[in-house]
Parts: sequence; structure tokens; C-alpha cells
Amino acid sequence: MTTVGPAAVAPSAMVRIEKLSKSFGSLPVLRDIDLEVKPGEVVVLIGASGSGKTTLLRCINCLEVPTRGRIWVDGEPMGDLAADGAFRPLPDAALNQRRAHIGMVFQRFNLFAHMTALQNVSLAPVMVKKLPRAEAEEVAARLLAKVGLSDKLHVYPSKLSGGQQQRVAIARALAMSPKLMLFDEATSALDPELVGEVLGTMKQLAEEGMTMIVVTHEMGFAREAGDRILFLHEGKILEEGTPEAIFTSPREERTRAFLSRVLHPTEPPRR
Amino acid sequence: MSYTFRFEVVRDNLGFLLWGIKATLLVTAAALAVGLVLGLIVALGRMSRRASLRGAAIAYIELFRNTPALVQLIWVYYCLPILTGINMSAAVSCTLALAVNAAAYIAEIIRGGIQGVDRGQVEAARTLGMSYAQTMRKIVLPQAFRRMIPPFVNESVSLLKFSSLVSVLGVADLTYQAQVLSTTTFRPIEIFTFIAIVYFVICTAMSYAARLLEIRLAASD
Repeated sequence: MTTVGPAAVAPSAMVRIEKLSKSFGSLPVLRDIDLEVKPGEVVVLIGASGSGKTTLLRCINCLEVPTRGRIWVDGEPMGDLAADGAFRPLPDAALNQRRAHIGMVFQRFNLFAHMTALQNVSLAPVMVKKLPRAEAEEVAARLLAKVGLSDKLHVYPSKLSGGQQQRVAIARALAMSPKLMLFDEATSALDPELVGEVLGTMKQLAEEGMTMIVVTHEMGFAREAGDRILFLHEGKILEEGTPEAIFTSPREERTRAFLSRVLHPTEPPRR
Repeated sequence: MSYTFRFEVVRDNLGFLLWGIKATLLVTAAALAVGLVLGLIVALGRMSRRASLRGAAIAYIELFRNTPALVQLIWVYYCLPILTGINMSAAVSCTLALAVNAAAYIAEIIRGGIQGVDRGQVEAARTLGMSYAQTMRKIVLPQAFRRMIPPFVNESVSLLKFSSLVSVLGVADLTYQAQVLSTTTFRPIEIFTFIAIVYFVICTAMSYAARLLEIRLAASD
């Protein structure tokens, strides 16, 4: 492998995580996670609740500050190591710049309640990328059309269904032209009949070559759109592989148990 | 009851009472303005990450919420000049006392408004690369402001009523003018009935205006 210059940190990786640990107080949530995500790859994190999937996702953009370890996104570090090995996030200004290239979609949409769909999507490009308002609104309108909401530009979030809100949230993230998209249980808060429209948008994004890290309980999506599945258990990546490998012949007993629980529930799934 | 009401006394001394109304409005408005600035500072201290600032803000809020306003007024008027050597007119020291009192309540209103804004929206803004200041300005404050209107109007109304306390220290507000007029005309019933109506009308108008504002702002929801 020919690495050039000081950027010797796997320049081909979109995300690189080394020995990442996170504790909430004395409670360890992530233990020594190593992970590399290639550009264009769709990585799906699965695991029982409390396994650390969401925390791992939130560590990548430093929404949650890791306790130890290192993270690079697109070759750039998200923080450095203090003398005692603790993770120290970048100063705010630098962190904001990095975050501008990392889109995130939340379980509860988190749209700005006092703004229309168009304003939600065009705000950050104006504030962060300093795009002229007219241009930002043009981009926003295009993205909202892309997610099938061209008739909802001037509607407030409270007047949109959950699925529509989530699609606005996806458009909002895309408006920053991210290199990487993080999805944190993007369909878990939706009524069952609305899940499809959001998953459809996510699949389309995956097909267009977006690098995505997706926390989800939707095994159908994981199987169809995922390039690689990671199974997390008690803060560790217990098993990883192609969807084919994970779903048809999981090696670990815990993976098997988890999959049989979510794929063939003997009782109605609890919500 | 054989009392004969003579409301002419109000009409004949309208100028005198009007002067009091003006003073009452002025003291209230000035106290609110100063209280708003001070309250914002205290609220920021209350929400600070630094424990010392938080502690100081809590102490301030508790001190002024748990002592009578009249005692605060008298304390500022009589004790503060002795302790600091700064001499102020009764009107200034009364306005100041009402302002520091109002600031304690306003601080809690501001904090409630800001903390009532959904954390998720703040996180969403930060993940888009917006700075803390931008997030405050574009996301938190506009929504917090709307939540603050009703309690802020309540505070203004109660401050206007509390401003009648300044009469105790000889500031010529509406209540003071009414007292003076009562002793010179021997018509306290008419005069105090009249000023009660004046206070009522002003306070009601404030609440009504606030409700209109709220409805207008809510139109976007």
C-alpha cells in the first residue's frame, strides 16, 4: 500500500475508528471498538437495545464524547488524545466544520418546529456554508422534491405526518452535501404504514453511492441495502459480515438468538 | 347607608391623578427594562456550566423571591446608601429595587422558556455544523420567546401592581397621589375606587394585548 505524506491514516477510509470506548459514569457502553467504513459503503448496526449501537453512532460526530480511542472521518481526526489517553474532541469551531460534512437523521426527526419544511432544509446552508438565501432555497426545494415533498415546501412540521417529517429531516441533512450519513433508528418512531416511504428514501440514497451508517431494527432494509452488518453486543462488535453471511449463517450464538427474536417473533413485538 | 358619592372630586383633580398614572407607568416600565437585562444575566448564570455561577444565580433568585418586596424596597432606599455611600432619589432607588426583584422572576421565566425547547432540535442544529451561538439565535430563542410571553406578561402585571408600594417611600405614583388627594379632599372612597379601576384597566389591557400577540405568533404552528 502506498501512503503519501503524514495522512498515513488509511486515506481510503471514510470512517476509521480505533479502540473507541465510552462510559456513562462508571457504566461502560462501548468497549474497544475498531471499525473502518469505506466510501460508498452502507454499514448497518444491529443489536439489542442497550448494546451501544446508538452511542457508537453518536460518537462518530462527537454528539457523544468518547471516553477513549480515536476517530477519523474522511481522513480527518475528530479529536486528539490527551496525555492520559482520554479522547479530547476538537475545539468547537473545528468540530462544527467537520459536523457540517456528516449528516445525521434522528429517531424523533428533530425538525425545527418554528420553521417550514423549506426553512428547515435551507437554514444550515445559509448559516454554515454561507450560501445566498435564494440559492439555498433552490437547493432545498430540489431536495424536498427528491424526497417526494415538493408540495409541502411551506408547511410546518406539526402539519406533516411522521414519515413526511423524517423525509424533510433527510433532505435537511443532504442540503449540507454530506460525505457521510448517520441514521439513528430513523423509522422506529413511525407508524408501520409510514416506515416504507422513509426506507425507500434511504435505499435510494444508498444506491446513489452515499456512505451510510445505519442503526435500525428493520432487518429487511439491512438485508437489501446493507453492504455489511455489524452485530453489537454489550458494547462490542460481536460479529460482522455481509447480510448474506449474517442472516443465513451467523457464527455467534448470540447473533443467532437475536436474529431469531427479531425475524421470527413468537409473540407480538414490544414497542 | 347614607353616603353620597361625589365623583366630581376625581374629575376636578384629574390632572393630579394623571401625573400619578404617568409616574406609575414610568416606574414600572423602567423596572421592567432593567429587570429584563438583569434577569437575562441571572438566567445565563443559572444555566451556566460553572457551579459557582449557578450557585450565585440560585442564591439571587431565592433571596428576592423569598423576602417581601416592601422590605426590599425599604432596604434599598435606607440601607444601600449607608453601605455603599451612593445616594439615590426615592424614585431611582424604588425603581432599582423593583427591577432587582423582577429580575429574579424574569430569570426563571427565561430559563423555563429556553429549557423548554426540545433538546433534539439543538442536537439537530449542532450536527448540521451550526455553532452554539447560531443555534441559540435561530433555533432556541425564537421558540423560547414564544413560551415566555404569557409568564412575562403575568410578571409585568404583578410588577405594575407592586409599583404601588413605592408610595410608601414618597414617590408620587398613582397610589401616592390618591393618598394625598384623599387627605386633602376627605373623599378616599371615590378616589380609591377610581384608581382601582385605573389599575384594573391597565392590567387587563396588558393581558389582552399579550393574548393577541400570542395568537399572532401561534399562527405559524
